[in-house]
Amino acid sequence: MSQVESMRGAKILTPKRRGIDAGRDGSPLPSLIFDGRDGTHVPTLAKPGTETSPDIDVEEKLKEAFSRGWSVIVWNDPVNLMDYVVYVFKTVLKMNEKDASRHMWEVHQKGKSVVARETREKSELIIHRLRGFGLNATLEQA
Amino acid sequence: MTCEPIAPDQWRLSFTEPEAGFLVNVLARLGKHYQDDVARMPPALRAYWQGTISRGGVADQDDLKESQEVLAEARAELRAERLALVENWMREYELAEERDPWKVEISSAERDEFIAMLNDRRMFLALELGITEEDMEAAPNQIPQEARRVSILEIDVLGHFILVMLGPQIYRP
Repeated sequence: MSQVESMRGAKILTPKRRGIDAGRDGSPLPSLIFDGRDGTHVPTLAKPGTETSPDIDVEEKLKEAFSRGWSVIVWNDPVNLMDYVVYVFKTVLKMNEKDASRHMWEVHQKGKSVVARETREKSELIIHRLRGFGLNATLEQA
Repeated sequence: MTCEPIAPDQWRLSFTEPEAGFLVNVLARLGKHYQDDVARMPPALRAYWQGTISRGGVADQDDLKESQEVLAEARAELRAERLALVENWMREYELAEERDPWKVEISSAERDEFIAMLNDRRMFLALELGITEEDMEAAPNQIPQEARRVSILEIDVLGHFILVMLGPQIYRP
């Protein structure tokens, strides 16, 4: 992909994080720790002191943000060319030709295809890039 | 139109005079579209430019609004970038000494953006007129409305330009 697209993506990766920016009033900022026992990164909030209770809302938001429970769905449309869709999958999703073609056929024949399951931020970036190429892509939480 | 590699990551596009004239017309319309107010566009085009984030098929949930805003913001930036791209191509055409054929040398990244921009025009036409799969497969003389017929021809010609630049892509099992 072009440099412009990458830079554009970086903006998506740094959305305003209202729930997380909790330390601006001088209160201690919670630090992130990752519990990878089940092979996945599960973010939790480390308590900076025993008297500080974790912010449940923040914790939930972080869990949601870091779980790979977000599906990127590409929908069929009457205009995009088959070759073009394959090219976009290869360019944006770094699929090999066979996978890109398989997903393209799935979109064409079944009306849609789940092309990625990612964290919320990564999924948003993918959606943005797919839409930048004119594909009808939506984001859904499983 | 032809598209030939001239070096790693470098391409030369060549357009005959009628092709270049057609392309400049398309670019002018694209430029206008990128400047149009999204809020005043027909619903299908508005949805195209805003994008959708949903959970379990339901959009507009409070906790998704922030992501929706970020996505819409990024889409607005994309329109501004595409407008700048249109202006660059128009300038390139205006400054060209030779226009038959009109030759342009571009990088792979620029080729990608050019392809995406041409595809934008195809999508706008289709969304604006509600063009269906049946319309796309029909013979031109089977489409009674002239505006629709002309738009489908434009979509097809731009599709041809895109395919020339892409080369064969599909793996056929």
